[in-house]
Amino acid sequence: MHSGWLSVFAFLVVSSLIGFGLLAASRVIRVRSKSDSPLKHRTYECGEEPAGLAWMQFHARYYVVAIFFVLFDVEAVFLFPWAVVLRELGSAAFVAAVLFVVVLMLGWLYALRKEALQWQ
Amino acid sequence: MSLWFALSPLLILSAGGLLLMLADAFSEKHTDLALGAFMTFASAGIFAVALWIMGGVPAEVAKLVAPWIVLDKFTLFFMATLCLGGALSSLLAGGYLPEHGLDRGEFYALMILSAIGGVLLVAAGDFLALFIGLETMSIGVYAMTSFRRTNPRSAEGGMKYYLLGSFAAAIMLYGFALMYGATGTTALAGIRDALASGSFGYARDPSRLTTVIIAMAMILVGLAFKISAVPFHMWTPDAYQGAPTPATAFMSVVVKAAAVATAMRVLLVAFGDKFSSSWGAGWPPVVAGLAVATMVVANLIAIRQENVKRMLAYSSIAHAGYLLIGLVAAWGHGDPSASRNGKAAILFYLLQYTVTQAGAFGALILCGSKGKEAVSYEDLAGLGRRNPAVALPFTLFLLSLAGIPPMSGFFGKLFIFQSAIEGGFTWLAVIGLLNSVLAAFYYLRVLVFLYMKEPQPGAVEAVPMKSGYVTAAMVLASALVLYFGLMPGRSLDMAISAAQSLM
Amino acid sequence: MNPALLTFQKLWPALAAGTVGAFVPRRSSRVERLGIALAAAACVLFVTMLWPDAVATEPASTLSNAERFPHLLSWLVFIPIVGGALMLFAPRQATKTVQWLTLGIMGAELVATLFLFKLTPTEGKYWIEESTPWIETFGIRYHIALDGFSYWLIVLTSVLTPIATYVSFGSIKTRLKDFCIAFLFLQGAMVGSLVALDLFLFYVMWELMLVPMYILIGVFGSTDRVRAAIKFFLFTMAGSMLMLAAILFVVLKYKALTGEMSWDLNDLQRLNFPLTTQRWLFWGFAIAFLIKVPMFPVHTWLPDAHTNAPTGGSIILAAVMLKLGCYGYIRFAMGLFPHAAHVYGATLAGVAVVGGILYGALCAMKQNDVKRLVAYSSVSHLGYVMLGIFSRNPASMEGAVLQMVNHGISTGALFLLVGVVYDRRHTRDLAEFGGLAKVMPWYAAVFLVVTFSSIGLPGTNGFVGEWLIMSGAVLSKGTLGQWGRSQAMGAALGVILGAVYMLTVAQKMFFGPLDNPKNRKLPDLTRREGIALAPLVVLIFVIGLFPRIFTEPMHVTIEPWIRDFNARVEVPPVELATVAPKPAAPTPTPVPAPAQGGE
Repeated sequence: MHSGWLSVFAFLVVSSLIGFGLLAASRVIRVRSKSDSPLKHRTYECGEEPAGLAWMQFHARYYVVAIFFVLFDVEAVFLFPWAVVLRELGSAAFVAAVLFVVVLMLGWLYALRKEALQWQ
Repeated sequence: MSLWFALSPLLILSAGGLLLMLADAFSEKHTDLALGAFMTFASAGIFAVALWIMGGVPAEVAKLVAPWIVLDKFTLFFMATLCLGGALSSLLAGGYLPEHGLDRGEFYALMILSAIGGVLLVAAGDFLALFIGLETMSIGVYAMTSFRRTNPRSAEGGMKYYLLGSFAAAIMLYGFALMYGATGTTALAGIRDALASGSFGYARDPSRLTTVIIAMAMILVGLAFKISAVPFHMWTPDAYQGAPTPATAFMSVVVKAAAVATAMRVLLVAFGDKFSSSWGAGWPPVVAGLAVATMVVANLIAIRQENVKRMLAYSSIAHAGYLLIGLVAAWGHGDPSASRNGKAAILFYLLQYTVTQAGAFGALILCGSKGKEAVSYEDLAGLGRRNPAVALPFTLFLLSLAGIPPMSGFFGKLFIFQSAIEGGFTWLAVIGLLNSVLAAFYYLRVLVFLYMKEPQPGAVEAVPMKSGYVTAAMVLASALVLYFGLMPGRSLDMAISAAQSLM
Repeated sequence: MNPALLTFQKLWPALAAGTVGAFVPRRSSRVERLGIALAAAACVLFVTMLWPDAVATEPASTLSNAERFPHLLSWLVFIPIVGGALMLFAPRQATKTVQWLTLGIMGAELVATLFLFKLTPTEGKYWIEESTPWIETFGIRYHIALDGFSYWLIVLTSVLTPIATYVSFGSIKTRLKDFCIAFLFLQGAMVGSLVALDLFLFYVMWELMLVPMYILIGVFGSTDRVRAAIKFFLFTMAGSMLMLAAILFVVLKYKALTGEMSWDLNDLQRLNFPLTTQRWLFWGFAIAFLIKVPMFPVHTWLPDAHTNAPTGGSIILAAVMLKLGCYGYIRFAMGLFPHAAHVYGATLAGVAVVGGILYGALCAMKQNDVKRLVAYSSVSHLGYVMLGIFSRNPASMEGAVLQMVNHGISTGALFLLVGVVYDRRHTRDLAEFGGLAKVMPWYAAVFLVVTFSSIGLPGTNGFVGEWLIMSGAVLSKGTLGQWGRSQAMGAALGVILGAVYMLTVAQKMFFGPLDNPKNRKLPDLTRREGIALAPLVVLIFVIGLFPRIFTEPMHVTIEPWIRDFNARVEVPPVELATVAPKPAAPTPTPVPAPAQGGE
């Protein structure tokens, strides 16, 4: 057997061990409830009581907002490393980033005009 | 030449796409957006042709963006082809969308942005750039597919396309990752060098070989999905049928051309070494098998269709089969002349196919009108008498698709089969030729309904619509079909010169 | 003598005929009389130009054909095609205009054809050639030429197409413009296939024929037209695809051996293939041509196509298109693969006799539908042509080419005549007719003349062709082996069967009591039908009585062609494909003496 595959095998073994180990540990150290407790029949044994059906319809505007969140999130992810090395890269990098943000802002402007952000 | 000029087609498309998006947002009327989209595509195409005429992008300029973006003649040829396809599709949209009450401006922006993805895809010399191009192109197309929001077929097609497309892209990405793991680079040329030199032990170490082969298979699956080769074609008929017709035209023309171009680059450049492109252990036999399966299955199913749009979808799959023959020929057992002719044949085929297929969908658009799209054969009955001005170009495009001289499609097929025979694949060429006979059957069936049948008494007749945009597209496409058919010499020379630059 | 007088001396018979045509039919309108006069003049002009004396008195020209008539062949190909394209812009409603425009274009073609008679036949070479590069990347050239094989077939095309079109104007009432355009494209494509020497050009023209014919059958045909049209299209296309594969193989082999691409027949003929390869390639070509001929067992599309095609379409299909199969077989299948053609010649001749001549005749005997009967008689008659080609000696091949022309004239006339009764009664069932000679005497007379021509009565054209073919087959020991005589016997038996079925038709239709009341009021031939039939009847007798006029120009080509072919067969086939060196550039030879016509 080749050593390259041995490491993969070892990786698989260790990762399954961790998974099963955690399950086993939780079985050992968990807080036991009585089997007929009404808690057992809830969706979550702790936290909020769910109201209504899980298949309820969400309004599409949640989706739009979620996309916006992801977009600006990623923008930030791009801008952080840029900010760190901006001094070394000089003005070209500054122009590039401004262009990037402007294009993104155009998208935002579009969404604004299309009333995608109106909440009513 | 500055880099800005070298990248001008891409930049024009981007600027045009953004402008159109804003124009859509800030204006009340959307009627002229089609013209804007057409102008964007046209000027990008003109700049690509201008670059070509100036002798291509000089090496020292191209070096600035290499290896992520390759600015060779191959790229320029495809830029022009994609812009041509995009221009025709946007003209079709200009007539179709208002007629069917879908006149929402984002369609044009989506089309252009998706075309940018296509251009990036054909120019990509690196797996990362390739993937970005692929996704940019696909996302726009997914949205365009489900553009008829109230139509369940459109939603179904878009959903299927989206889910399967993402899945295929994921598999492909996995293949890229494995390839990176095996060779340590994502650049196509770098991968070729690594595979050829065996520096990482490809030649000596069988386990690495397994990795490479698995990676290659996964990438091939992703490419075959985008080309819609059998058995990865399942999404195609539903997506094509559900999408608004201009989007269908765009998909079958631009997306297909870009996918085939990238398949050429990946297979012939990255996997062009003698290990991975050998007949015994490489991709050529797989692609040959895909080609045969694609042609036979698609043609047989297309014969059974009752819906013209769906028939054209299957025919588009069948054409992918012919293109795959060209891909095998372009490998050509390593014979340089056969290989060059094979590549050139694919390029010419795609160029003429762009015009023909877009024209055919345009003619189909003109056959119907609001409330009654002409989609079944019955809807076309008697159109040759009722509306000869539409039936005649439709006939022209169908004959071209069927490969009857002197239409352009004949030359496309001829050069593909010629290069296949030259590369030693006479059997593939014969299968392809016999498939053309099968295909002729269902193209002729449209002609039968156009000219030889009258509508059933009492049937709802589709009233042919009128639109200057679509008519303009018809005129342009018919002229080009005849031009490529009667005087293919010049475009062929261009295709050959583009093929030579692919390395 | 001054030139005006000279011209008059040449033209007076035509002028006289024109005058008679213009003044004699008193009751006709002015336009009709003009038409009749023009037709009569053209007819006489045609015959006088064919006359042996006319050829002999022509002063020997010092210029070559190509110099005297530059681009003559291109004109012939492109007059109808360009005319057809221009017709697209003709007004659809103005039927008269459309009719006259079409006939005008075809008349121009006919006039261009008249120039062919001025050509001096050159022995063993193409009489007139044109060659320019078309798609240089792949070595494709626009190379067209004419010789004794194609000469009469082109004349036949130019004569019969206007006749077929003209007679169709009587019955085609709807979508006349489409009909005319299809006819014009068809004519151009047929002439194009007959002159093309570049295999690529030939293939393009060959396929271009399909679409107009498909439309003619499918749009203007009778009840089962769509099925018949598709059957026709798919049969022919399947054959052409195999041919295309073979063409590509040959061309690429040439490229591999010489390093340059050429689709030119003259270049490709220099290739010598191993026998196994030749067999495959030969069948690739031969199947395409034999489907078109059509030869047993791939003839099944023909009866359907004929039965359902409109009269004009049937005439063209039988008279010209089928001949292109025979022509292509001679020019390309035999021209490129002599050894394979030699090997299979005897077998195919057997198929032609048994499956074509005899089986076709027997099928014809059992038909009730007159048109279907004539269609099967075509299968039988083309069996003779193919037998003549397979026998491969000067007599049989000249007979074969002449028989192509004959069959074009007599079968074209037969289809026309069948169309005449079909227009009146809308049935073609033999049982419906009887005693027609009493109500339609002219019709009956013409029908009988054509019947005699079809069964080969001496004095008519059919006799000459069949006699030449059969005598050639008897003499063909070198090609058909010991079977030559029995095949000639079989062909002779076919003549008898032909007489049986054709005379049965004549008897059932024209003689006996006039017992069907529907036939009592049938009008005789109309003027339109008469005008269309007259040239055909004249040609039947001209060819029958003066066959030398027609065989002489063929002989100039066929004799050296067969010598050349035999020489190529003598060279044994090779193990690996080779290519013979290019012949030295032709030195400008003095123009050969004009062929001596009559004696």
